Amino acid sequence: MRKGIVQLVAIGVGIGVVLTLVAVLFKWLPTSASEEFDRIQDLYWFATIISIGIFSLVTAVVVYSVWKWRVPDDDDADGPPIHGHTGLEILWTAVPAVLVIAIGVFSAVVLAQNGRAGDRPLEVEALGQQFAWKFTYSDFDDVASGELVLPLGREVRFTMRAVDVIHSFWVPNFGQKMDAVPGITTEILVTPTRLGEFAVVCAELCGLGHATMRAKARVVRPAEFEAWIEERQA
Amino acid sequence: MSAHAEAAHHEHHGPPAAHQSSRVDARVLGMFLFIASEAMLFGSFFTAYFFVRVVNPGAPTEWPPEPYHFPVFVAGVNTAILVTSSFTMHWALQSIKRGQRTAFLAGMILTFVMGFAFLLTQVVEYLNVGFNTGDGAFASVFFGLTGLHGAHVAVGLTLLGIVIVRGFRGHYSPEHHHGVELPGIYWHFVDVMWIVVYSAVYLI
Amino acid sequence: MTATHDQHGGHAAEGYPEHFEPPRGRAWTMAFGPGLVRGAWMALRVVGLGALLVVALRAWWGWSPYWDTHIVLVVGAMTAAPIGFLAGIGSFDYWLHYVSGRPTRPEDHSGHGARTWRDYFKVNTDHKVIGIQYLVTTFFFFTIGGLMAMLFRAELAQPGLQFVDSQTFNGLVSVHATLMIFLFIIPAFAGLANFAVPLMLGAPDMAFPRLNALSFWLLPIAGLMFLASFLVPGGAFASGWTAYAPLSEGQPMGQTFFNMGVQWAGASSIMTALNFLVTIITMRAPGMTFWRMPLLVWANFTTSLLVVIATPFIAGSQFFVMFDRIMHTDFFTPEGGGYVLGYQHIFWFYSHPAVYIMMLPGFGIVSEVISTMARKPIFGYRLMALSLIGILVLGFSVWAHHMFVAGMADWLRVPMMITTLLIAVPTGIKVFSWTATLWRGRIRLNTPMLFALGFVTMFVIGGLSGIYLGSVPIDIHASDTYFIVAHIHYVLFGGSVFTIFAGVYYWFPKMTGRMYDERLGKLHFWLTFVSFNATFFPMHYVGLRGMPRRVFDYAEAFGQLNFFISIASFVLGASFVIFVYNIVTSWTRGPVAESNPWRAHTLEWQVSSPPPIFNFDEIPQVVGGPYEYGVPGARHAVMSPAKEHVAEQEEVHA
Repeated sequence: MRKGIVQLVAIGVGIGVVLTLVAVLFKWLPTSASEEFDRIQDLYWFATIISIGIFSLVTAVVVYSVWKWRVPDDDDADGPPIHGHTGLEILWTAVPAVLVIAIGVFSAVVLAQNGRAGDRPLEVEALGQQFAWKFTYSDFDDVASGELVLPLGREVRFTMRAVDVIHSFWVPNFGQKMDAVPGITTEILVTPTRLGEFAVVCAELCGLGHATMRAKARVVRPAEFEAWIEERQA
Repeated sequence: MSAHAEAAHHEHHGPPAAHQSSRVDARVLGMFLFIASEAMLFGSFFTAYFFVRVVNPGAPTEWPPEPYHFPVFVAGVNTAILVTSSFTMHWALQSIKRGQRTAFLAGMILTFVMGFAFLLTQVVEYLNVGFNTGDGAFASVFFGLTGLHGAHVAVGLTLLGIVIVRGFRGHYSPEHHHGVELPGIYWHFVDVMWIVVYSAVYLI
Repeated sequence: MTATHDQHGGHAAEGYPEHFEPPRGRAWTMAFGPGLVRGAWMALRVVGLGALLVVALRAWWGWSPYWDTHIVLVVGAMTAAPIGFLAGIGSFDYWLHYVSGRPTRPEDHSGHGARTWRDYFKVNTDHKVIGIQYLVTTFFFFTIGGLMAMLFRAELAQPGLQFVDSQTFNGLVSVHATLMIFLFIIPAFAGLANFAVPLMLGAPDMAFPRLNALSFWLLPIAGLMFLASFLVPGGAFASGWTAYAPLSEGQPMGQTFFNMGVQWAGASSIMTALNFLVTIITMRAPGMTFWRMPLLVWANFTTSLLVVIATPFIAGSQFFVMFDRIMHTDFFTPEGGGYVLGYQHIFWFYSHPAVYIMMLPGFGIVSEVISTMARKPIFGYRLMALSLIGILVLGFSVWAHHMFVAGMADWLRVPMMITTLLIAVPTGIKVFSWTATLWRGRIRLNTPMLFALGFVTMFVIGGLSGIYLGSVPIDIHASDTYFIVAHIHYVLFGGSVFTIFAGVYYWFPKMTGRMYDERLGKLHFWLTFVSFNATFFPMHYVGLRGMPRRVFDYAEAFGQLNFFISIASFVLGASFVIFVYNIVTSWTRGPVAESNPWRAHTLEWQVSSPPPIFNFDEIPQVVGGPYEYGVPGARHAVMSPAKEHVAEQEEVHA
């Protein structure tokens, strides 16, 4: 029996190691370019660790059982009549409950942090229309642009509206996404932390041109941003 | 008599009688489950009503919005008619259970006439209400809820009609009255549902 | 007279009652007797009646123009014609007889049992025939849905447009999902359960056999309606199977086919669910208490409750969209005072429970297969049943987790997240109990068992990615991407479809009386298992990296991986051919199956294969639990002399 346990653990650890390598060696998430996405990535890794553990456990038991107790198809004996085990059943009700509540609490904390606007964020209105985005800087005489330009390190509050159908504003590197819905306004916060050009993608099916409804987001130094705005205001 | 009928008669190859594992009659249980499903269909319409009237930030402050009016009084009289028809339905069922065939038929006909009057009033109301389906979300939920209910009244009337035809042919007796009881349950449901619709759309 | 009697007695020995044959010629019967021919011409005839009704009403109302193609289509082709078809094939014959006030006919069972393949194309009231009708129909639509997937995977092999235009692409994606959900997974489970549940309960048939037949025949109507949408101007409905308003409201005519097709499919599943509930509650064999019911029955009991309560909501949501489209109402148009998010709330109030409608019967099948093949009682039977109820109850409180980025009220997010994550608890109980059932069993690794174990592992992946999506912040990044596509396919393909395959292989000998080819079955499993993972696992990656779903074009960076996914998906499609070949050849000339090849204890295995026409000569007496493997002397039920019947039948065959 002891030998069996060792073998089972070995299988589980083996699967766990392979999965960990898969999780670490491939870059599953885009490079984070916002404070919000940093927090989401921490949460993502927390969930990944738990997932690898659970998957390894279940798969190890399945693989081990099949390996150890497989019989030919014409075998006609029965296994031991084990109907259950109250302790085990309580254990595997309680442990997952604790784990998911941990994920839930962590998520709620991240959600609250990502949803807390500081004082005076940069206000940008994002207007979705088949099949383009229009960004309006209401702090700067409603300067409008098809390209999204943001200053590094300053919190931005996007207020989203849609003209025709539902669109969804998503910059994968910011890790933030929100639908633009006709008739109501929605909000999301982003604090860019990395200079560069990123893709703005429409994530909600919005018709024929949905796949091509993309725009460019550029994160620049604050001075550059001021210059860009002034040029537009003129 | 054909040979087939003869053969079927002599050799009974029917199934064994199923074991009745519940005190509830299968047909009555089926009807109640169907009504549960129907209630949820109304539920989805009430949800739409709730979104349009309560959740929507652009919800009208007045119900119905100016310059439209719902005929609250006429619909109130109509409500009274429909509620009364529930009582006559009950009376008809009790009568056939006691074997009073005339009272049963009278009850059924009264129920049918009142149901029909209700539906007719509803149609006249639609024609004179002063707005159409395209006149705003309030009109959508008005026509949606009352129309859904009207369709149920129409189905109910069809069932009542069948009961009346079979009643005149003498198919029901104190022992066999499921054919009356089931449409009756449905009819009570339609009535109760109307009280909810009337309160939500016209009164509140 | 006597001679004729004897002649017919030959059939009767097999236990089949005589079909009622009208005293007319063959041609007359073909054209005017109940059947597909009469169905076709009656459907065509009432289209005209429907159109006439619309024009007449509009003229009376004074609405111009009197002719509105869209409304005529809805009333004539999508409402009246199906009813005409159903009347034509004879679904309503008995009821019309009743309605017309004639005395009730004693049931002659003429619509019971199938003697030739032709009987499968008629209205049949035998739950076993209906079960097979369901399965064949659903696998037909599965094939079509799969071919559509091959088409758009070909399109997706490279960025940019190659094979189809944008509208067609969106249409293919939408119809693929719709067929798989409404015409495959949900009804395939209904088909398996239709066959197995009455037998498992010790009942001679379902509670309402005629209703059962009707609910099957609604299904092809819905399926053809979805497919017919490709033929109308503007192409098929192209707003996804979720058909979010207001996008769906501005779509061409094809969208209306979705609005109405869903009504027929929904009506079908409500009727079946109602039938299951009544059957399970009122027709259990003596001694079959709720705590002695096989878990498949438990699973269908909870599923049916979900169906009866939730399905009306999708009916409502599609009615509203249709009204907005053809009657110019404003349920979801903000200009008219409508509320856009209302659609999503109403839609998901059905469609989230629908996920469990598509999963719980699979849990039941897997419980049967694992317990039987591992030769052990199911671990923690009561908790297994209770966890189904837990999922049922929690399932109604999680719908808004599909709307974390939809702009709904913020305060709804955290409660919905908690309930969503908590569903992992009853689901976890089931997974751990299955693995514990394997522990120290005597495991026979045949095809049904392979699919069951494949299910357990794949479903864990689907469940775990569900945890990611349940967590609001991760969902904000991952929703509406290929991560969702991966998740839904791990749950519905690695989950539901694997269990359907497990169920089909498991009950194949019982349904057909023949054995499938084990080697082909195993080949099918391994090819499916590997190509399934090769297709869908990389989708997690492209999704998280930034590829949204429902796009025909995507960033160059995802090109190579998408090419790989497309190739893998073609292999996955090819693996299905093995299944079809195996089933068709085994059904026609496979070796004759024993009545109980798996030595299972549940009741359906205690009768002949295929079962006698009325299932049991006498209703069995249930005396113990359904999975008492390894318990010395334990029995699930005591059978009446049905054995003799089997012997008699074998004599006839010999």
